[in-house]
Amino acid sequence: MDVSTKLDTSTDPQVGYRPAGTLDAASALAPYAGHFGPRQAAHLLRRAGFGGTPADIAAFTQLDAQRAVDALFHASDPDGTFADYPPELGTLTSAQYGQRKTAVQLWWLDRMLRTRRQLAEKMTLVWHNHFATAVSKSPPEMMAEQIDLFRLQGLGNFRTLLASVTRDPAMLVWLDNRYNTKQHPNENYAREVMELFTLGLGNYTETDVKEGARAFTGWALKDGQPLFRPALHDDGPKTFLGRTGNFDADDAIDIIVQQPIHQRFISRKLLEVFVYSDPEPELIEAVASVYALSGYDLAKTVGAIIRSNVFYSTRAYRAEPKSPIEFAIGTLRTIGATSIPPNLPGVLARMGQEPLNPPTVKGWDGGPAWINTSTMLARFNFVNALIATNTTASKTAPNVNPDLLVKTAGGFDAPRIVDELVTATLQDDVTGDVRETLVAYLDGTTAAAATQNPNLQAFGPENYQEKIRGVVALTLNLPVNQLN
Amino acid sequence: MKRRAFVNRSLGVAVLGGTMPLAFANAALAQAAPLTAGSADPDNVLVVIQLAGGNDGLNTVVPYSDDAYHRARPVIGIDPKTVLRINDRIGFNPALAGLDDLFKSGQVALIQGVGYPNPNRSHFEATEIWETASPDRPQQYGWIGRYLDRRYPNGTKPPSPFETVALGDTLPAAMVSAHVDVPAIGALGAFSYNTGHDLASKQSAGALYDGAKGGGSPYLAMIADAAREAYHGGDALRAKIAGYTAQATYPTDGFSQQLKLAAQLIGSNAGTRIIFVSLGSFDTHAGQRAQQDRLLGYLGNGLRAFYTDLAAHGNAKRVLAMTFSEFGRRVTQNASNGTDHGTCMPLFVVGGSVKGGVYGDHPSLTDLDNGDLKFATDFRSVYATVLQAWLGRNPADVIAGSFPTLPIV
Repeated sequence: MDVSTKLDTSTDPQVGYRPAGTLDAASALAPYAGHFGPRQAAHLLRRAGFGGTPADIAAFTQLDAQRAVDALFHASDPDGTFADYPPELGTLTSAQYGQRKTAVQLWWLDRMLRTRRQLAEKMTLVWHNHFATAVSKSPPEMMAEQIDLFRLQGLGNFRTLLASVTRDPAMLVWLDNRYNTKQHPNENYAREVMELFTLGLGNYTETDVKEGARAFTGWALKDGQPLFRPALHDDGPKTFLGRTGNFDADDAIDIIVQQPIHQRFISRKLLEVFVYSDPEPELIEAVASVYALSGYDLAKTVGAIIRSNVFYSTRAYRAEPKSPIEFAIGTLRTIGATSIPPNLPGVLARMGQEPLNPPTVKGWDGGPAWINTSTMLARFNFVNALIATNTTASKTAPNVNPDLLVKTAGGFDAPRIVDELVTATLQDDVTGDVRETLVAYLDGTTAAAATQNPNLQAFGPENYQEKIRGVVALTLNLPVNQLN
Repeated sequence: MKRRAFVNRSLGVAVLGGTMPLAFANAALAQAAPLTAGSADPDNVLVVIQLAGGNDGLNTVVPYSDDAYHRARPVIGIDPKTVLRINDRIGFNPALAGLDDLFKSGQVALIQGVGYPNPNRSHFEATEIWETASPDRPQQYGWIGRYLDRRYPNGTKPPSPFETVALGDTLPAAMVSAHVDVPAIGALGAFSYNTGHDLASKQSAGALYDGAKGGGSPYLAMIADAAREAYHGGDALRAKIAGYTAQATYPTDGFSQQLKLAAQLIGSNAGTRIIFVSLGSFDTHAGQRAQQDRLLGYLGNGLRAFYTDLAAHGNAKRVLAMTFSEFGRRVTQNASNGTDHGTCMPLFVVGGSVKGGVYGDHPSLTDLDNGDLKFATDFRSVYATVLQAWLGRNPADVIAGSFPTLPIV
């Protein structure tokens, strides 16, 4: 599984733009104009979406890097493809909290799987993790509205997004700002806005928290909708982040986004999402400059990142662990599934990422925290069940067709089938040892096969479907496929 | 985990790696320090029981002779005639008959009024405070996780991958560690590499993971390591605990069934020393009596079956179980016949080696802080006691600050 030695840079020179630790600051954020083959296309579709279907990857390789990003920004779904609000919520009672939660989770996961607007949906997940609100406290209906807010504004203007989040019902519940009044200030939202959403710990004072909380007073909830109550708002003068005035919530947001430390904070966050963890300071500065000059325009900022040389660098390529949602949705898209398995929310919880339910207001830790024995087992068994389930015509199972990944024209030529499979699913990022093990499985020449009935094990028409499903599962469960 | 710490770890794995799954290789044994030090027995087992949602303490251990209690809870207050009396002031909720039996046999230390200064009433934050033992500032790792990190420094590994386990689908914050991979086992069937009937596929997977190496990404070695342990883990666990027969009839609820699995792990040669179990839904804002009584029934009856089973296998004296909840609830019932988020609550420490009895005074119901009980014992004193007396670890290694230990063990 040694990707770095496997990658053949003589035939694919542009993966390998730079080794780690040798950032060329001048060209890092310049538009990438190099080779754009299956590896680059699949990388872009994984990072700026939930992974490409084999057809998506093939289509993108007909473009260049810049036109591929254009395509991501201009993608659209036919009208009526998706409901903006989970229809099941209308028929479930207030006591059916679990079913309502599941309905919203499945509604969202289905959108991730099927939407052509992959980048917009990826940003929805990014902001869900950033403004981490949980269904354990905020009701499912409000969570659905918040997710739709991220979908509509996630590539808009950050200042506008933050103003919308401040009024968002799920957030008003989650961080108690609905109880923040002139008479009884509640600092919870003001503190988290600065610590987690915009500035980071250490970049504001306790006085800023108190004064900011006063600016955020007056937002109540009425019938589940935000309502500004002037009588509950403190319109007196405040001194907040070095400025003094009769600030309200939007004034406080304006002051926050103008802080250079905020511009670096959000730039670092986006680089960690799209490129790699621990981005170099000069790279953060370059992105912060784009962000500030664009007036906090997220499409321009994200666009600059995913169009850049550094985005296609070795340090970025398959460098980070896939989150459980990226892994599950990516797997479903790879095998051509057209619907979400109904048990997926629970499976994702076992993998460590139940959608709508981040563990704390800090969101999911991510990175190495995704990886341990239990979560790996949950990932493996998800794939195994997905592939095996579809040997029966179960109504609940997604429509999976492993033949999308291997052409039957290959007949029973195991090496050829394995080549087709690892090309379609992993862009050939596997070692010769792995190929040999997969071939031995198909040919029935493994030690395990010898202990069983050889008639069942030799590759032939009677076990073709089962063998193909087996080798697809083995391939999707390779450690390299856990990398984004 | 910080990236730097992680890279160090993955380098360690790469050096130690080889083709055998590390945690299953006996070679790793030699490098580990003893689990416990000092007078603590290395076979001691700790079972941490979370009562999630904020368990109402006043209807758990009831101050039945206090008029203030009945005034504050005209509807949900428990009838003194039904209370399982501990003394002339307090008694157990009648749903806790199982725990009362254990108390009468001297196996329960009841610690009253457990809390901490400036209590937090948010579920998430208060849970994080209890699980990381850090009220003042956020901690990345849990209190058990930090214990494990001190116990296994410099890339050493536990002698058994099941030495510390969370029974449940997700890892609790208490067990999040920088260096030790704690498995979360929801059910035995799920903790297994399942490929249906295709044995060849399963064995090929084993060959792939055993042969997996680190590559370009710093994460690949870590993933390959976890993949190997995941692949082998379920079979290894089942092999270790096969042959154990429960010697008690456990109730059928999920919590009691997890205690049954806990007894099986303890009574087998799985090497299990720390177990986390969670019992949920104590957030009784409305219609409290029915819900809390049902849950306390699971707790008491489950623990009674657990200790009956442990005793039959000769394990009761080496197993210490302790409860916690993120907060207690307010003294006065609310308009929905429930209670809202409050402060301190009683905590139970159970086991054959426990010095049974009542520790500390019941919090006053008239000397309140903004309508809430004032705590008497800091929860970190209980942790410090468990760390020092049961796990043989200097509490200062794990918990910031100094907290007196209690004479409960």
